[in-house]
Amino acid sequence: MNEHTNEPHWLKAFKATLPLMISYLPIGIAAGILLKTGGFAVWMIVLVSLFVFSGGAQFLIASAIITGTPVFTITLLLFFLELRYALLGTSLSKYLRNETKPFIFRFAFSMNDENYAVNYLKFSTDKNWTAKDALLVEYFSLLSWTVGNIIGGFLGTKITIDLPIVHFALTAMFLYMVTMQLKRRILFVPVIISVVVSVLSVVLLKSTLGLIVGTLVAATAGYFLERYLKANYRDSAMLKRIKNPRAREMEQISEAEN
Amino acid sequence: MDAETKRHLMIVFFGMIAALIPRYFPMLFFTTRKVPAWFNEWMNYMPVALFTSLIAKDLFVDHSYHVTLGNYNMYLAALIVVIVAYYTRSMFLSVIVGLLSVWGFALLLAAM
Repeated sequence: MNEHTNEPHWLKAFKATLPLMISYLPIGIAAGILLKTGGFAVWMIVLVSLFVFSGGAQFLIASAIITGTPVFTITLLLFFLELRYALLGTSLSKYLRNETKPFIFRFAFSMNDENYAVNYLKFSTDKNWTAKDALLVEYFSLLSWTVGNIIGGFLGTKITIDLPIVHFALTAMFLYMVTMQLKRRILFVPVIISVVVSVLSVVLLKSTLGLIVGTLVAATAGYFLERYLKANYRDSAMLKRIKNPRAREMEQISEAEN
Repeated sequence: MDAETKRHLMIVFFGMIAALIPRYFPMLFFTTRKVPAWFNEWMNYMPVALFTSLIAKDLFVDHSYHVTLGNYNMYLAALIVVIVAYYTRSMFLSVIVGLLSVWGFALLLAAM
């Protein structure tokens, strides 16, 4: 990545968020269309995009208002749907230690799965990445999401969208993130465990709470496996790194920057 | 303000609270306290486990919470995304190629 050190913060953050912003537009449009179909006014769609800012939650709200679900039930469903955010905040916290409470509040308010993914990758690979850059990433993604929702709100029932296909933009983004994270062979273990345990627990619990179960079980298994191997088999093939086809190129760039 | 608008405002307000609690309090807790080293090591496994979890739900669980192994277009597209991501390291290309291939394979499989 050819980052110039004199690049302004907003441009750096904008470049990092651009792929996400493009993915968010069609999905935001789909969410806006569904909310409009459910009876939400456009200004209400703007409010929900800004203050809830979660694809899953907005799709749930849309289907809940169509079926006339009571507000209390909707709130409870949303709470369980969003509980996984506890994991996101916890895993980013080590990068936000020096920030003020109001900053943490603003950061948490606009955090979701996707901008967390962008920020986690930046924090773990770019040592110049700051908490302020990360907050900008959240705001850029929020902007694109809200614009998408507004467009969807105005389109209303005029067009139909193939939701599973549009949603695959996010699946593709997470696939990219996992591929980037797989730097050591041992990480294949939590990946496999997460697939099996997450699918089983989401189906058994009939709720996205299963995602939390799958994530915690897989991460814990990976952590204990690494400790066990390091203590007993220091030369295990499992602890080796995975070849990165672009590694040499990236090393040369980072050397040139220094 | 009519009853429907009021109901929608309540949904937005309570939705905001429901989303804010899990976003804010754990983050506040762990940024303001000293955490042991093992905790950070454990947290290193969290992103990969969480992203895989979200992918697995998209690929293998349908909207009525049943296991499905029938999203062939997604499986083929997912394979292509991983290959593109591994060789290009570009999120943008991965997403675009992913969208095009999931759509292309859906058309192709429907025509077969």
